[in-house]
Amino acid sequence: MKDSFISIWNLSKCVVCIGGALSELTAYVFAADFPRVLRRRMEANMLLSINHLQVQYGKQTALDIEQNIMIEPGDRIGIIGSNGAGKTTLVKSILGLTNYKGSIQTELKKEEIGVHMQYNNYTNTMPVKNVMETLLNTSIKKNRKLQELIHFFEFEPCLKKRYSSLSGGQKQRFTIIMVMMQDAPLTFYDEVTSGLDFETRQKLMEKLLEWYQGKENALCIVSHYYDELELLADKVLVLDQGKLIAFGNKEMLFEKYCGHAVITIDNSEKNDMLTKQFSHLLSPGHLIALSCQDVVEEEKIIRVLLEQDVNFKRSNHDIEIMYINAKALYYGGECVDSHLAQDTMKGGQNEEKHEYKAV
Amino acid sequence: MKKNMNIKQCNAKLIKYEMLNILGNPFADFFGVVFPIMMLFIITKAMKSEIPARGYAEACATVFISMSMIIPMAILLLGYAATYAQELEKEIPLRMMLFGYPESAAMLAKIIAQTIVVTAALLIYGIIGGIGLELSMPTVGAVIGLILCQYLLGVIFFGIAHGVSSLFRKFGPTYAVMMTLYFGIMILCGMMGIKAEDLPKFLQVISNLLPMSHIGNDYIDVWMGRSYNFVPMLQAFLFLGAVAGIIMVMAGYKNRRTRG
Repeated sequence: MKDSFISIWNLSKCVVCIGGALSELTAYVFAADFPRVLRRRMEANMLLSINHLQVQYGKQTALDIEQNIMIEPGDRIGIIGSNGAGKTTLVKSILGLTNYKGSIQTELKKEEIGVHMQYNNYTNTMPVKNVMETLLNTSIKKNRKLQELIHFFEFEPCLKKRYSSLSGGQKQRFTIIMVMMQDAPLTFYDEVTSGLDFETRQKLMEKLLEWYQGKENALCIVSHYYDELELLADKVLVLDQGKLIAFGNKEMLFEKYCGHAVITIDNSEKNDMLTKQFSHLLSPGHLIALSCQDVVEEEKIIRVLLEQDVNFKRSNHDIEIMYINAKALYYGGECVDSHLAQDTMKGGQNEEKHEYKAV
Repeated sequence: MKKNMNIKQCNAKLIKYEMLNILGNPFADFFGVVFPIMMLFIITKAMKSEIPARGYAEACATVFISMSMIIPMAILLLGYAATYAQELEKEIPLRMMLFGYPESAAMLAKIIAQTIVVTAALLIYGIIGGIGLELSMPTVGAVIGLILCQYLLGVIFFGIAHGVSSLFRKFGPTYAVMMTLYFGIMILCGMMGIKAEDLPKFLQVISNLLPMSHIGNDYIDVWMGRSYNFVPMLQAFLFLGAVAGIIMVMAGYKNRRTRG
């Protein structure tokens, strides 16, 4: 009797729980503002949200983003675009350094966003050691983490120099050390490797990867070096002439604009003839890019290339090719069909398309 | 993630940084510390043969009072304007802000550092002048009054320098304006050897509007314990203070931003 009572009691508790959950779910689903509720839930987990952002410099529209951009903890966003695309303007808007229309929602204060600006300057009235210790409010002698960073970037001999006496690379390293030390929830690296030699660039990228490995910090990396972004970014934001061309997961964007994988070979007449039967993508002038929609197509292309002893490179995250084709598609072209691609090129809707080769 | 983790307050390191910033400007060091002492001894030595021995100590005190005003002028009006304009041109305050120092903290550190440096320069000047010259003994009230005048001038000069550099945000035009002001004030207030009475009428009117003229020419009466009408000097302080205020408001208006 007692056992049956407990069973009925437990059963009724289960029914109440399931009923509660169902009624909550129903309320969400049937609520008139369901998308808003869902969005609010998403926004609760975000660091920053951008909506209908517009920046004007005089009569010129520097940025006009109609879509919604959300930055979440742990995001690694690569921001790409040619000069004047609006990359730095976007960073400045987020920091509140330029007037804008639209909304940028964040709970982060300006001081909680780490920034390596494209151009950084410091006072020349004292050695950089004093500048570093002041900006970080620490002492190099007592801060082991800072000592390690200084050692890694081989910056010890520069500490007693004034900022104007540092070389271009040393100046970059000086700011990078301090930005890394900030450990901010959201950090922007605006063309951080510009002006650095290849070896320093590689080392810096390795260090960035290592430093932020497994951390919740969100990174936005503005760069013209696609290989850097392939290494660092998991999301890509493509800007062109102030417009948002694409934003999303790197793999998803690649799939959307390039297919399952891309095979690139040298651009020669022989290779062109050889690959005529396959779908071509827009690509830099020295390459032919072949789109593989699935594994079967990929194997078919590779077989042909192997038979003809043609060197090739296969990628499922080539940001450069994705970028070129995303831009072409945005301006009304077709990215995977060779004939349409040619039409797009002839259309001359976008000046920069002429930099690329349509096969 | 921890919030407000990077926001810093005005601290000893920041004040030290601002002091190094002031002292790292050799022009401010020379014109703020060395130049007034040098001028004090050159002028008093030159007039020794021309002034009767009985009045020499009072004359020395007059020069001592006049030259002391070069200190806040050189360090704040000229030095601070030059340094801050350069900082603005290089967007250094922005970098400070991005590294977690709010504008208020950076400003407070600047004010404290400038006060320390001006105080040190006044002390050095006072000690060397007091030991090296045959000054007539001032009353305690006169010394306190002069110190108060120096700090009041310092506040006004800081306001003008900050306003002008914020208006131009470039070193070149800021320095040109401040140098013109610096030498203009020195000429108008009798620090270059020209007495205010010898100036053309309209320049005398401008001269009377500047508290430095009253301090340089008339404060000797207070120093010597004679009666002195403070009203014109206070009016001049109010006038120059208002000018500084207007410049600051103009700079604030120019640099205002509306955000979406």
